[in-house]
Amino acid sequence: MRIMIVGAGLVGQYLCKKFSSEGRDVVLIDRDEEKLQRLEREMNIMTAHGSGASARTLAEAGVAKTDLFIAVTDSDEVNLVACIMSKQYNNVATRIARVRNEDFLTPGLPLNEEALGIDLLISPDWAMTEEIVKLIHVPEAFDTAHFAGGKILLLGYHVHEDNPFIGHSLIELKTIHGGHQFVITAIIREGQTIIPRGNDSIQAGDKIYIMVRQNDMVKVEKLFNLTSTLPNKIFIIGGGNIGYMIARQLEELGAEIKLVEEDPKRCEFLSENLAHTIVLNFDGLAANDLLEEGIDLADLVIAVTGSDTTNILSSLLAKHHGTKRCITKITRHDFVPMLGKLGIDVALSPRQVAADMILRYVRRGSIVSIATILDTDAEVMEVTVPQHKNFDNVPLKELNFPNGSLVGAIVREQWNFIPSGETIIKPGDNMVVFFTKDAATAIENFFSPN
Amino acid sequence: MRIGGVLNLLGRLLIILSLMLLSPLPFCYYYGDLMATTFLICSFIGLLCGGCLILLFLPEEDLGYKDGFAIVCFSWLFIALLGALPYYISGFIPSFIDAFFESMSGFTTTGSTILSDIEALPKSLLFWRTMTHWLGGMGIIVLTLAILPLLGIGGMQLFQAEVPGPTKDRLSPRIQDTARILWSVYLLLTGVETVLLMFGGMDFFDALTHSFATLATGGFSNYNASISYFDSTYIQMVIIVFMLLAGANFSLHFMALHGDLKAYWKNEEFRLYIAIVLGATGLIVLANHLWGTYSHLGLNIRDVLFQVVSIITTTGFGTADFDTWSPFCKVLLISIMFVGGCAGSTGGGIKVVRFLLFFKYARLQLHKLIHPRQVETIKLGNTKVPQDVMIAILSFFAIYTGFFLVASLIITALGTDILTGLSAVIATLNNIGPGLNLVGPTQNFGHLPGISKFVLIICMLAGRLELYTLVILLTPGYWKMTRTPRMRFKIKGSATPASQRTYF
Repeated sequence: MRIMIVGAGLVGQYLCKKFSSEGRDVVLIDRDEEKLQRLEREMNIMTAHGSGASARTLAEAGVAKTDLFIAVTDSDEVNLVACIMSKQYNNVATRIARVRNEDFLTPGLPLNEEALGIDLLISPDWAMTEEIVKLIHVPEAFDTAHFAGGKILLLGYHVHEDNPFIGHSLIELKTIHGGHQFVITAIIREGQTIIPRGNDSIQAGDKIYIMVRQNDMVKVEKLFNLTSTLPNKIFIIGGGNIGYMIARQLEELGAEIKLVEEDPKRCEFLSENLAHTIVLNFDGLAANDLLEEGIDLADLVIAVTGSDTTNILSSLLAKHHGTKRCITKITRHDFVPMLGKLGIDVALSPRQVAADMILRYVRRGSIVSIATILDTDAEVMEVTVPQHKNFDNVPLKELNFPNGSLVGAIVREQWNFIPSGETIIKPGDNMVVFFTKDAATAIENFFSPN
Repeated sequence: MRIGGVLNLLGRLLIILSLMLLSPLPFCYYYGDLMATTFLICSFIGLLCGGCLILLFLPEEDLGYKDGFAIVCFSWLFIALLGALPYYISGFIPSFIDAFFESMSGFTTTGSTILSDIEALPKSLLFWRTMTHWLGGMGIIVLTLAILPLLGIGGMQLFQAEVPGPTKDRLSPRIQDTARILWSVYLLLTGVETVLLMFGGMDFFDALTHSFATLATGGFSNYNASISYFDSTYIQMVIIVFMLLAGANFSLHFMALHGDLKAYWKNEEFRLYIAIVLGATGLIVLANHLWGTYSHLGLNIRDVLFQVVSIITTTGFGTADFDTWSPFCKVLLISIMFVGGCAGSTGGGIKVVRFLLFFKYARLQLHKLIHPRQVETIKLGNTKVPQDVMIAILSFFAIYTGFFLVASLIITALGTDILTGLSAVIATLNNIGPGLNLVGPTQNFGHLPGISKFVLIICMLAGRLELYTLVILLTPGYWKMTRTPRMRFKIKGSATPASQRTYF
């Protein structure tokens, strides 16, 4: 499969890295020649110099042979024009464009995905908002993904000192707690992803990913000494697009929201368009004002200004004064792994979130949905079991799943459950499979009938 | 100000009113009350005055924003003077100031009367009395805008100055169409109420005149006992409903007629308006019950609801003498006298929306004390209220208070007692009708001294035109920029440039 990516920004680079490491042909188009030369050296990709909105550049870069066209430059217009031009080539099966303007994304407005003939329009700000709101609904987790229409959740947790399971192996856990209410699908220890086997054990400081049915979430969180309550006092620092959209969605939860924004004009817009959020006009680093407004009492601080420095510093300030949890936006996703060490609970980069959304979209098909686990090389996907004799009425343990992969949940018609080795598999089941990057090809082959 | 153009327009409006003066003629012949000559004479006088003005002064195309105030103010004043003639010429009201009072009370939809025996008036004169209500309710200038292209340019200024409320809804891009829509809704509601009242046993004449008085939130009845004359729960209910409708924003009725019934509920002002009506009714029913004013609960609710609706919509119809109720009820009724109807209605008073925004502003100031760096906008529904509208509302309260104080001082200086004097000013400034004590629901304004009546006439006009339009004419700065009128004929050498076009 040949993939053409227009725009070598952060999203473009991230996608190039992901796709090329999976062994796909990637062509990257950008106007910055030096950058392209550097990326060509670093990654196993082909580059083409020129504007994405130029028909000649696209033709020279070989758009005619491309299957997947992704336009992720900083300009909405260039992205849209590039995608529309790629429609001239029948070979291009899927078009994805990044847009910033809300008008393209609002359902019901005339110039939407359908009218433009683009398969997916994606806005980093919207993707980020969606991600943050999802996280807020699972207050203790630092990462979440939904499968089977939201009935199965994948949750990422930090293992704290008070976790009762520290030191126990997975087999022991099973005997202690009987039923298969949950599966630990991955352990991340010192940046290494482990797909655990029965004799692996949990240690303090690990991050663990748990697959659980939505109904059992509360029970499982209790087992792990975690309690879930929706945050009641929320501080949002930064009233840009993300801050505004988050506030609008959180207002529906009935939370008490304070929104801090530096620009007085923007404040007026915010107070006009938000119903009962308290809009405050000062700098996100004004410690005095933040404390005066009670940031130390907040359940959740969301720092989403345009400046990484402000976001990190205000999150640290909040944490220092006793805020329970903070979600911090950071544009440079290379810094994400460090922030955990500083005590910031969740750090998200909008571009990365958007790129993950693109990945998820591209890899669908018989794969119903896919999630990339943030800052690890593990992935989860939902696969439909193909009609093939290998899969007909076979117990799970006899299937010989490739190494580095694990089945987290099975969805059969309206019914979903966390499987054990004895579970019988039937074609048409949906399986949520967890795997490391190394196992990606093996998994793909495993599910292709031949 | 372009006085010539203003006077020319005034002439046209007088001619329109003169034609309206012919409307009681069918009733003159039907009831044979020998009033036809009176109305014909009045109409002739109006035509003569109007014709003279048009003949003397050339129309001017570029009438500005400021001229709107003068046009509206003068036309209301002169139209009320012309409307007073039938009472005076027919001899039923021998004093001219009384006739002027009655006419102004009619046009401004106040409903205060100086007559002690209303039933002694001939039918056609009674018809004219409620006709003045009906014309004044939606506004004579809005009517003119709706039916005639005469006022063409500058329509918006006139509309602004005549339709009540701090901001005006524009229902269609052209102001003429907006005026047409408002008048058609008004006409439709009047028709429906007339039919419904006839089902309740009223004859056509009573049904029509009472509909005029209800929809205009006027309050003139053809009977001394007002609505209690009919003693029918059905009739009272119909009138309550139509008073409520007349006190609501007519744009909402327009939207409802187009199928959007939710428009009522979505409107924050309307919700508050209904809440005030229900809240005040509940409290007064309770007070009356505990006080022992009423022994029958059903009757209590019916009468209280009627009075509350009648007063908040500034209609002023009566079914009970609230002057005999407990002091608590009277204070509450006086409070809602100030509130009045909604913006864009035919009701008077300060308007619900002004109070709503006033209190929102106060709440905003309180929030500012708790969160000094908070930025908050005042919203009505989902839309932001611009700063200048807020300032206009605050200064409206200032002018209102000042006007109220001066008028009350003059009235009481002339020897009227405090309750009568204050309530007379409240009742006229808010275009309600009856006040308390000597001007209470069973009394009239006839016994007040002439100067008091004149002050109250000014109050009624100021209330109907929402103060600004009248008060601006009292500022000296307004008159400084008066231009020489362009005359149709040369008078003492003042020449009309040859290049100017004439329109007649």
